[in-house]
Amino acid sequence: MRKFLLTCLFVLGLGFALFNFKGLANQGEFQSIVLDFREDVPAAEIAEEVSAIAQQYNVNPRLNSEFSEADHIYILEGDKRLLSALKKSKLSKETEFIEPNYVYSASEFPNDPEYSKQWNLRSINVEAAWDETKGSGVTVAVIDTGISPVPDLKDTKFVKGYDFVNDRIEAYDDAGHGTHVAGTIAQSTNNGYGVAGVAYEASLMPLKVLAASGGGTVADIAEAIRYAADNGADVINMSLGGSGESKLMEEAIDYAYQKGVFLVAAAGNSSQNSASYPARYPHVIGVAALDSVGVKAPYSNFGAGVDISAPGGSEAGKILQETIDPETNEAVFVGYQGTSMAAPHVAGVAALVKATGVKEPDEVLSVLKQSARVIKEDPLNHFGAGHLDASAAVKLAVRGQITFRDFFRWLRDNGYLNPRFWIDGGTIMLLPKIGMVIGSYLLAWFLRVYFPFSWSWSLTSGLVAGSSGLFFLRGFYIFDLPQWPFRVMGSSIPELGSAVQGSSMLNPIFASVLIPFILVALLLGHKQWKWVAIGSALGVASCLAVSAVVSPSVLWLGSGVLARLFLVANALLCFGLAYLASKGENQPA
Amino acid sequence: MSIKVTGVIERKGLGPGTWALVADSGETYELKDAPSELHKSGLKVKVQGEVREDVMTFAMIGPVLEVKSFEVLGSD
Repeated sequence: MRKFLLTCLFVLGLGFALFNFKGLANQGEFQSIVLDFREDVPAAEIAEEVSAIAQQYNVNPRLNSEFSEADHIYILEGDKRLLSALKKSKLSKETEFIEPNYVYSASEFPNDPEYSKQWNLRSINVEAAWDETKGSGVTVAVIDTGISPVPDLKDTKFVKGYDFVNDRIEAYDDAGHGTHVAGTIAQSTNNGYGVAGVAYEASLMPLKVLAASGGGTVADIAEAIRYAADNGADVINMSLGGSGESKLMEEAIDYAYQKGVFLVAAAGNSSQNSASYPARYPHVIGVAALDSVGVKAPYSNFGAGVDISAPGGSEAGKILQETIDPETNEAVFVGYQGTSMAAPHVAGVAALVKATGVKEPDEVLSVLKQSARVIKEDPLNHFGAGHLDASAAVKLAVRGQITFRDFFRWLRDNGYLNPRFWIDGGTIMLLPKIGMVIGSYLLAWFLRVYFPFSWSWSLTSGLVAGSSGLFFLRGFYIFDLPQWPFRVMGSSIPELGSAVQGSSMLNPIFASVLIPFILVALLLGHKQWKWVAIGSALGVASCLAVSAVVSPSVLWLGSGVLARLFLVANALLCFGLAYLASKGENQPA
Repeated sequence: MSIKVTGVIERKGLGPGTWALVADSGETYELKDAPSELHKSGLKVKVQGEVREDVMTFAMIGPVLEVKSFEVLGSD
């Protein structure tokens, strides 16, 4: 009964969601209507109709342009009511279509002269996000080396901050780092000078915790976090990190989180598996860095603690903002690289999301993650939820926060078809994996028709090892542990060759009949273990066959016909091997 | 935790840049308040210092090594 009720509720909810789903086509704006007369209607008749419409509705239909005559495309002023009246009139029989003349507008393009060099802002799609919000009303605390009032921060709003290094209210920068980071978040934009920032109508709170030499203590940073939380910060950016865990800092982070502050930190620049502190604390979003073509920047940390990725630049293309030259203290436009530069992109977009009305840090995070551009092949968790997308994030946030409708849409687009829904990391193609397991059982069943044998643990473990491995293990990322043992345990026999280096291409030595053949040769004499070998041959056959259909990508052979042929041939060989090995076997194993 | 590290000084270009000691073992240390004598890429040195777990930095390139004393071994 309970199940029935739940099902009814689900169907009702689903119906409600679909009924209320408006779709883009119903949201456009138009002030005029397009009439496209059929080609076979004579010109004289069209002229007659046009003047009839003009009289009846008191409008002035005209050709859209001099090129419209051949296609008989007319435009007339009108709204929804006229549109539906026209559609119901006899005119609809003489036209190919009558439709709204939607107004398409280009997104706002800032007039900052150096904007064209900011590939990073285009890569996060920030222009379309500015159509909705520029971050007004949100305060972003920049816990860093301080912020100096360079000319391109002239129009940017500031709130009171603090210098924890020198214990004074003015938190000016003496290293150049904090001003650069602040610029990415809220550089004065559309001011005809310099460069742009992500959330340029947000307010900045400068908190200096790092000395000119670039270091600062966890005690100062923890105090700065509490200061920010107590003084109205909505977002905290920490483009800093270290290797030491600190209870003091963790408590400060929890305190800020409880107050609704969204905390962002850089993942670290030592090119290692696992983010540094504070990015790895719960309630802090760890940001990995991308270069200008969207791959992981060479220095960026990855793996556990990385929640999302954003542009951090590389030697080939850096992040340009205005900051100070620490030697001369003068303002200068300079390109930096680092996860330090990636984090403020996320902090800026979080400010935009908060400005739309999504307040709770968990909701902001879920908006950022759901709207990120998913990278399918990410076995080492270089990208977390994916590439940051400002426009998609703001649109998702504006669409009525995370309603059932959005959840349903997300489920449909990324959810149940995507293993990320079940397993963090999203490196496993679940459906093909299930296909491989089922396929191997089908093969075993098929074989049993000819050679009756009974199921046994040895056959089953062979089937699983050959077809899919313990694939759910691959989504495990644990701090400070190498990820490859999970990948290896989570791999089937054909995938072993590529598991250690974390490639998604199959290695042809492993993805072939070779290993099942060796297993059969070694174990054929043993009464029970031979079934492991036979099971693995069937499992491998299934895995290769599914791979040949779904993703035929083999090292040295590419992803084309050659790879498919190789996989299919080896699948057949594996099945043949299992057939031969189980031949003459009529008693239970 | 006082340790002795032998390696080569390098300038790492992350953010405004920082001085690093790349140890012979392969580990990269970020030098905290490195004396100006150590501001020279390619310098082979032996540094005695303390790893500061309580310090965070914007460079984030590895453990932070506060230099107590050093000995220049040569340059590449």
